[in-house]
Amino acid sequence: MGIDFTVLSSVIAELASFDVILMLFAGVIGGIFLGSLPGLSATMGIALLIPITFGMEPVAALVLLSAIYTSAIFGGSITAILIHTPGTPSSAATAMDGYQMTLRGEGLKALGTSTVCSVIGGVVSAIALLILAPPLAQISLKFSAPEYFLMAVFGLTIIASLSTGAMIKGLAGGLFGLLVGLVGVDMMTAYPRFTFGKAELENGISLIPAMIGLFSISQVLMQAEILHSAKKKETVVVELKGKVFPDKKDWLKIWPTVTKSSVIGLLVGILPGAGGDVASWVAYNEAKRGSKNPENFGKGEIEGLAAAETANNAVTGGAMIPLLTLGIPGSAATAVMLGGLYIHGLKPGHELFTQNANIIYAVIIGLILANILMGIFGLTMARQVVKVASIPFYILAPVIIVLSVVGSYAINNNMFDVYVMVAFGLIGYLMRKTNFSTAAVVIAMILGSMAEIGYRQAIVMSKGDVLAYYFSRPISIILMVLIALALLTPLLQKWKSRKGIKV
Amino acid sequence: MNLRKRNMTKIMSSVALSCVVFTSSVFAEEYPAKPISAIISYGAGGNTDVGARILFPNVEKELGAALTILNKPGGGGWVGWTNLLNSKNDGYTIGYINTPNLITGYLNPLMKRDKSLEDFDLIANHVTDYGVISINKDEKRFTNIKELVEYAKANTLTVSTTGANGDDHIAMLKMNQKFGTKFVPVHTKGSAKQRAAIQGGHVDVGFSNVGDTNNAHKNGELKVVAVMAEERSNFLKDVPTLAESGFPGVVSWSARGIAAPKGLSAEQLEKLRESFIKGMNAPEHLKKMEEMGLQVDIKTGDDYKKMLMDEEQGVIELKPILGW
Repeated sequence: MGIDFTVLSSVIAELASFDVILMLFAGVIGGIFLGSLPGLSATMGIALLIPITFGMEPVAALVLLSAIYTSAIFGGSITAILIHTPGTPSSAATAMDGYQMTLRGEGLKALGTSTVCSVIGGVVSAIALLILAPPLAQISLKFSAPEYFLMAVFGLTIIASLSTGAMIKGLAGGLFGLLVGLVGVDMMTAYPRFTFGKAELENGISLIPAMIGLFSISQVLMQAEILHSAKKKETVVVELKGKVFPDKKDWLKIWPTVTKSSVIGLLVGILPGAGGDVASWVAYNEAKRGSKNPENFGKGEIEGLAAAETANNAVTGGAMIPLLTLGIPGSAATAVMLGGLYIHGLKPGHELFTQNANIIYAVIIGLILANILMGIFGLTMARQVVKVASIPFYILAPVIIVLSVVGSYAINNNMFDVYVMVAFGLIGYLMRKTNFSTAAVVIAMILGSMAEIGYRQAIVMSKGDVLAYYFSRPISIILMVLIALALLTPLLQKWKSRKGIKV
Repeated sequence: MNLRKRNMTKIMSSVALSCVVFTSSVFAEEYPAKPISAIISYGAGGNTDVGARILFPNVEKELGAALTILNKPGGGGWVGWTNLLNSKNDGYTIGYINTPNLITGYLNPLMKRDKSLEDFDLIANHVTDYGVISINKDEKRFTNIKELVEYAKANTLTVSTTGANGDDHIAMLKMNQKFGTKFVPVHTKGSAKQRAAIQGGHVDVGFSNVGDTNNAHKNGELKVVAVMAEERSNFLKDVPTLAESGFPGVVSWSARGIAAPKGLSAEQLEKLRESFIKGMNAPEHLKKMEEMGLQVDIKTGDDYKKMLMDEEQGVIELKPILGW
């Protein structure tokens, strides 16, 4: 299904219409805006716009939806970097180092790096969608329950590396997250676990309100305490004169991470059921493991920011691969896009790339253009947007609280989620006061249920011989080796250095 | 300044005017006099939601009032249904009810819900999506439904479904009960993962619905071997029904329609039924639903009630197997 150059001219003709260009701009600007507000995610933006696209031409409609998708994931990082309020779960990992950079006065650099990395991740994945869609879709089908289980476990090892120096506290945070993930109707038996007769708890505790509480509300409470005690006025030095574009030195440093994270994001993206939230943490973990100075991660390391930002946008094109080739969406947002495809009479599969080639290639090229446009907006806006970080806290705090409440409510149109957000805000505040890691809770919530479902499905699929089943699957073996490496490397290093001292 | 003032006056007067129009219409006798809220128990962008958004403009024309969608996802649909049942039965809140989740939700004793079909005023069924049984495209051990059933009598086969106690799971249990097959369920989170499991060969058999499977069958990504319906599906004309293949008695579907909390007046109910039936018959609605691969199945009054009662009976018969 490679690129057929005879369709190229018709693709250009499709793209060169006023409607398409208008939708491209609308999607990028709207997406960045939506994404930057906590609780308003790419998925929701796409879902709400689908009815509006009924009357549009298919190319314009799908360019709008895919532009929103990629831009919202980028937009979520802006608030994560500037005010420690991830706009979407995909940006939680971004907040780790991005916000520390802002505190150090490098907000502008963080925004610029985030923009450039997002564009690279997005463009790489869109190009993969353009030329490698069929083979990558087949890879996505090779991932089954055991692989999901192992991948989740692999992701969970990051909790250990996040909590260097305070291992017990890190693990406790992780266990708390896993415990939270147990709430809800059991997938395999439909047994209501810890639901206390509340229908709202049957789908489990929603990730987004919990994350908003743990990251944003706890942040507001911490800042409010500082402001109240007035021991020191909050002084975030905002670098207004610095460069937006990362300089050559930084560039050389992050380049390998960006490459690696693009691949990680793309691969996680093609898997149904794993999106930007998983990809950003896996990439972050990998960047930290491969780094010369892993101790800087979480303290404003540009590599950590670059890893998370590249990976979460590389998911977008990846997630559209199984969507367009197999009709199996690779993430929540693309699941909603599937409905949009059908409404325009576009059926995923081979036909889409042959009979409707002019439409679908126009959409893919549109996605590349959307990423570039997103980069242009991101870089030009950065100098203005970064000023958010210098807004006095007493103005910013109520705004964050209002956005958090509205965002939590908007996810399911339910007050219950607002209470969840408040509860997790308090938990997050207490955790941070006592030096527990709130990120560990979020990671465990994202990956815990994925691990549990994969583990239990695999037991049924193995028809009794679980070990043989795992070892008969090549991807499983690779993942097991990766997990072993992730767990053993720090021990080996310690052992080596100890030996070194003795000798 | 003057210009702005004049504009303001204009705006104010138009606001005032619309207020007058609005209040006068509220006090008018005729129903509906104001927008009607429609609770959808699943998220925006899901199948139920998209179907509703396609249908509603056509119904609004008949009804002469706006239908405002409120997505209330959670609890397999029960967050929304609890909301619907707790709303005023004044005809201004209606909602989608989806089976079998609605029925299994109140019959499952673990859930402790003292609700039943009797708590709803039924308006009309909208979509019925029948169940299908599919196999991997490269499957060698069996290539049609007869071979599959024979094989499954002697061997344990794994089945991907879209969730425990859902229509796929119940159909699978019925097969085991009636024909002695040894299907064991591997439940997944929704149709994307359900289909990935069968297309990737992670499980032996897939139980799903026409709506989310017919396109993959046409593309040759998997093979649908039977439809669990009384008649063949328009979307899968080449696939036999279970009954015509010699396995009668297992029919499975998930259906969704419109209902209100019990207690609407006869006129209100009549107006709603009439408007929904007319809206559903609108050609643009039918055409879009066809493109979505969804079977519009218009039923109202006693027909709709009977359909739901039959389905309830089917689940009640399975109570021992479900452990209820």
